[in-house]
Amino acid sequence: MAAPLQDEDWLDAKLHDEMPYIDDDGFTSRVSQELPVRRRSPKMRSAFLLSVGVVAAVIAYIVAGGGSFVMDVLGWFAVMPLSVLYIITIGCGLLVTAVGVFFAVSRSRKVRS
Amino acid sequence: MSLTDADLVARVLLDDDHHAFSELVRRHQSAVRGLLRNLTRADVALADDLAQETFLKAYKNIRSFRGEAKFSTWLYRIAYNSYREDARRRKELVGIDETQLEGEQDPQTVNPALRQDLMYALRLLPLHERTAVLLCCQHGLTHEEAARVLDIPLGTVKTNVLRGREKLKHSLAAWQNN
Repeated sequence: MAAPLQDEDWLDAKLHDEMPYIDDDGFTSRVSQELPVRRRSPKMRSAFLLSVGVVAAVIAYIVAGGGSFVMDVLGWFAVMPLSVLYIITIGCGLLVTAVGVFFAVSRSRKVRS
Repeated sequence: MSLTDADLVARVLLDDDHHAFSELVRRHQSAVRGLLRNLTRADVALADDLAQETFLKAYKNIRSFRGEAKFSTWLYRIAYNSYREDARRRKELVGIDETQLEGEQDPQTVNPALRQDLMYALRLLPLHERTAVLLCCQHGLTHEEAARVLDIPLGTVKTNVLRGREKLKHSLAAWQNN
């Protein structure tokens, strides 16, 4: 043990030097064999969600009286003041943009990480 | 051109690519197993079991990896938590605490002179000081990264590293005098 113990960096250097490389020796393949298989792929999940959405829309259409509510809403909008319509339009636009930006940012973060 | 850890993680996230994850395991297995061997005081079998558990947990929870820290830092955190959970289970099961968990001597650490002395002195440190010294002085993590791994305040990490280093120096100086 000839190295000088007074040297502040001596211990750090020694600890760093004494970290031997551990041979893989089948470790990675053992871990790989244990990896779980995901039950549903992303494509399958998208198709499933789309199908559920279409079915839900059809059911909602039938339950709502075959689309008569559309005419009701149009009539409601027809008697509405123009300024209120502008506000609703701008509000909807901002909401959709905000939601889109939020999902785009979270998606890009996930990909970058 | 070799892919970065971030590229491999992205492949796992987007395509559930087992090969990409295996490459991550291959890259980090030595560091993770080394850390766990030192935490378990060279109980090789236990350390490798915990390392396997660490990588499986990492795979299952890879969506929670945000890339704010290095992938290796994230792995160390999982490894440390796995070790703590195991130590707690053992304490509950057989009534022994962490300081009594002496393992079988790892042949790789059996070496003459300084190396053996250093490893021996390291194993005498309390867990919190040993872990802080290992992460910062051996694995090259910054104090901030070690604080994230150990989930303790930055000041506590600095204190633990300082105390651990002082004790190591003292132990090795005593050996030198003998």
